[in-house]
Amino acid sequence: MKVPIDLTVNGERYELEVEPRETLVELLRERLHLTGTKEGCGTGDCGTCIVLVEGVPVNSCLVLAVDIKGRQVLTIEGLAGEGGLHPLQESFLEKGAVQCGFCTPAMLMSGKALLDRVPGAGEEEIKSALSGVLCRCGSYKKIVEAVKAAGEKMGGKR
Amino acid sequence: METRYVGKSVIRVDGLEKVTGRAVYGVDVELPGMLYGAVVRSPYAHARIVDIDTSGAWKVAGVKAVVVGRDVPYTFGGQVKDQPFLAVERVRYVGEPVMAVAAETELAAQEAAERVRVTYEEMAAVFDPREALKESAPLLHPDFGDYWHVPLYEGVAGTNVCMVRRLLLGDVERGFAEADEIFEDEFYIHPVAHSPMETHAAVAQYFQPRDEYIIWSSTDRPYRLLKELVQALGVSLNQVRFISAYSGGGFGGKGAMVAEIIAVALAKFTKGRPVKVVCSREEELTASQTRHAAFMKLKTGVKKDGIFTARKADIIWDNGAYSSLGPDVGFRGVLTILGPYRIPHVELLSRLVYTNKEIGGAYRGFGTTQVTWACEVQMDMIAQKLRIDPLEIRLKNAYVDGDSYINGQILRTVGLKETLKKAGREIGWGQPKPAPRGSKFRGKGMATMLKPTATPTDSYCFIRVNHDASIVILSGAPEVGGGQKTVLSQIAADTIGVPLSSIVIPNPDTYYTPYDMAVASSRTTYHMGNAIRQAGQEVRQKILQLAGKSLETDPSRLNLSEGKIFDEGGRELITLQQLLNKIFGGRGGSILGEGHHSPAGSPLLAASPGQEAISSIFWMFGTHAAEVEVDIETGVVKVLKIAAAHDVGRAIHPALCEQQIEGAVVMGLSNTLFEEFKMEKGKILNDTLADYKLATTLDLPEIVTILVESYHEEGPFGAKGVGEPAAAPTAPAIANAIFDATGVRIRDLPITPEKLLAALKRKEQTEKLSQEEKAVRPG
Repeated sequence: MKVPIDLTVNGERYELEVEPRETLVELLRERLHLTGTKEGCGTGDCGTCIVLVEGVPVNSCLVLAVDIKGRQVLTIEGLAGEGGLHPLQESFLEKGAVQCGFCTPAMLMSGKALLDRVPGAGEEEIKSALSGVLCRCGSYKKIVEAVKAAGEKMGGKR
Repeated sequence: METRYVGKSVIRVDGLEKVTGRAVYGVDVELPGMLYGAVVRSPYAHARIVDIDTSGAWKVAGVKAVVVGRDVPYTFGGQVKDQPFLAVERVRYVGEPVMAVAAETELAAQEAAERVRVTYEEMAAVFDPREALKESAPLLHPDFGDYWHVPLYEGVAGTNVCMVRRLLLGDVERGFAEADEIFEDEFYIHPVAHSPMETHAAVAQYFQPRDEYIIWSSTDRPYRLLKELVQALGVSLNQVRFISAYSGGGFGGKGAMVAEIIAVALAKFTKGRPVKVVCSREEELTASQTRHAAFMKLKTGVKKDGIFTARKADIIWDNGAYSSLGPDVGFRGVLTILGPYRIPHVELLSRLVYTNKEIGGAYRGFGTTQVTWACEVQMDMIAQKLRIDPLEIRLKNAYVDGDSYINGQILRTVGLKETLKKAGREIGWGQPKPAPRGSKFRGKGMATMLKPTATPTDSYCFIRVNHDASIVILSGAPEVGGGQKTVLSQIAADTIGVPLSSIVIPNPDTYYTPYDMAVASSRTTYHMGNAIRQAGQEVRQKILQLAGKSLETDPSRLNLSEGKIFDEGGRELITLQQLLNKIFGGRGGSILGEGHHSPAGSPLLAASPGQEAISSIFWMFGTHAAEVEVDIETGVVKVLKIAAAHDVGRAIHPALCEQQIEGAVVMGLSNTLFEEFKMEKGKILNDTLADYKLATTLDLPEIVTILVESYHEEGPFGAKGVGEPAAAPTAPAIANAIFDATGVRIRDLPITPEKLLAALKRKEQTEKLSQEEKAVRPG
């Protein structure tokens, strides 16, 4: 029994038929081949599957695809705009915030949700906003620095 | 030599694909016609398999293969061939693969796996390696004596001892006789999970006509896995092809076949269709590999002034059910239990013992992390008893340039004392402690370490300059996050004299990339870096020869820099691209170079006769100094700051060195304070990342990285290595700081609030008792 849904991912509209049990991360990775979103645990503990739904970071492994009907989803593949990389992506490169890179998409999306909401977020706010994503390379120091620098670059003032 | 890229923190070359989500990891590999695998695992720690009924699995739509142990009657293991692809007759740990299914969808494969019925007859199991040493202990491998093993490592047939190693140097009894004080202590370090964010994943495909296997995997050592698989299957090195994807973290754990072996077993029965196997997080935590736990006894003789006279160490490693890289860990691990100190007389005993648990494997530090725990906590205890400052006693015994290691190897480029002094200065060593804030007490501690690299080992590479001046480097060293591609590109760009942006290093493919031992043992920058230096010099010379001919000048008067040919006066004559265009005349062409590095035969490895095997081509040194705050009411430890000073030889890319060190500090802190397996009858109960806790951004202390550069004479541009060492001193530095804060000495890891609280209570009671005694005593 498949359910018809429509949703917008990275600005592109899709009409799909999904299984009721299908999660958003499965839909993104397996149907749309947007493999930049990772699945590190499937139980909402590691945060590597974080994408933005209507601007809000969600663990896409915990969300059913049917519940995204009519919503706007932004994944890492949609973060860079026409004009090039997002300031967060630039900062991650400049500050050396990337190691193995597996958590990077989720860190970037969590950072974007924060900076959109709190443009000049300080260190404690950044740490708290990123605490839902695990990074076993332990890049936290440079990741926090990169988000902070991006916020400053984007003109966020406190 | 002046460098344009080496020594600078350039943007990492794999950065763009990683920040845009385009990097392909093992879990992302997708092939036409691909099937999905699922595994049935043992629920028992030790049992005989009585019957496997697979009929239910075949009833699920879309099932293409159902494979049991007898279908793939091979064993593997790089050091002891003791591990079956799928269990045959008996299972030896909870989570051991018993059979596997391949189906059109993941869901179908899982459903089919659930419908398999396996009947077991439970057997007595053993979980503590000290128990497993006893004669009465259940035997895990009755056929151990028949297993193939590398000649270096001997076990004891008829027991659970998989490897035993003894090392005697000097006269340890004389050393103890010379000592003023003898310290005898026991320590324990717990197993931890590698927990890469990307779980083990592999895709395998089998081509029956050539008896050929292709495997896509995110291993950090394709050639080691290739060697092991070829040996197991009895085929040639050109019948198994490993193609590397990006690795989403490994930390040693991806140096063994976990998903690969299941994928290969299934692929043999799917008529050419590829099979993908991705471990769930539960499988990753409970059925991949762990850091080896170790029980360590240390006996150390010391003079009154803090100078060491002798050390005896007895280490029992918990191997788990199969050996994997355990023998190597147990052998190399013992060598660093002496710490970076001059100890004239030593006796070491290391035993690796089978238990009915998840397999112990390579884990960042490769044994050094374990033994540094014992060495450096005892060092602090010695300092305390002798009333010598912990920094001073370390400086007194610390190796300096020209000292000889226990085997007689002369140590060169020893930046150890600088790491001690600089880490100490950064943490404010010796400054008075702030007064406690309520129940919160502050303290400082430090720990230091040394680590060798596996020696000798080999790295090969090819460099190809295309006719448009772009360059491809074929190296078998995968990018595992450490910035391998970036560092190697920097070395190549400066060696050849071309822009960094003209170089590409594709992910390894063992059909094209020549042999490389592994991205392991902190060896890649040094070994592959040197191989690339050699190949780079070859193509540089070829280019200059061609330029000389083309420009009708003496090539020795020409220089190649940033892809342009200059004369002696620094005048630009022609670009490399123009030159190649001229030479190849619009047709195609390549300029090729090959590189090989092995430190074998280096005069730096000279040692006492018969002891050369434990020389290391470079020695890494590092010191961590920690400041903690302990809440004595809750037992919670907050790490406030870690100053981490490491002798890296030369920082080819300072920011990447910082990443390795900062990352290892976070990992070390996490291992020490948060991570612990909860087990019941061999079953790991905390099998999610909600219950097996890892450090998050909220646990991040202030980390100050200090890079010490000692310039290794044979290293590429002076570099040594840095990947592993930083994981070792964090735990003892934290424990020593806890002692400074509270007077409580923790000897067994992890340091949980419960454990610390109980220890604080015990201390309080002991103090109360002794005060009461004093009060009762007259006078």
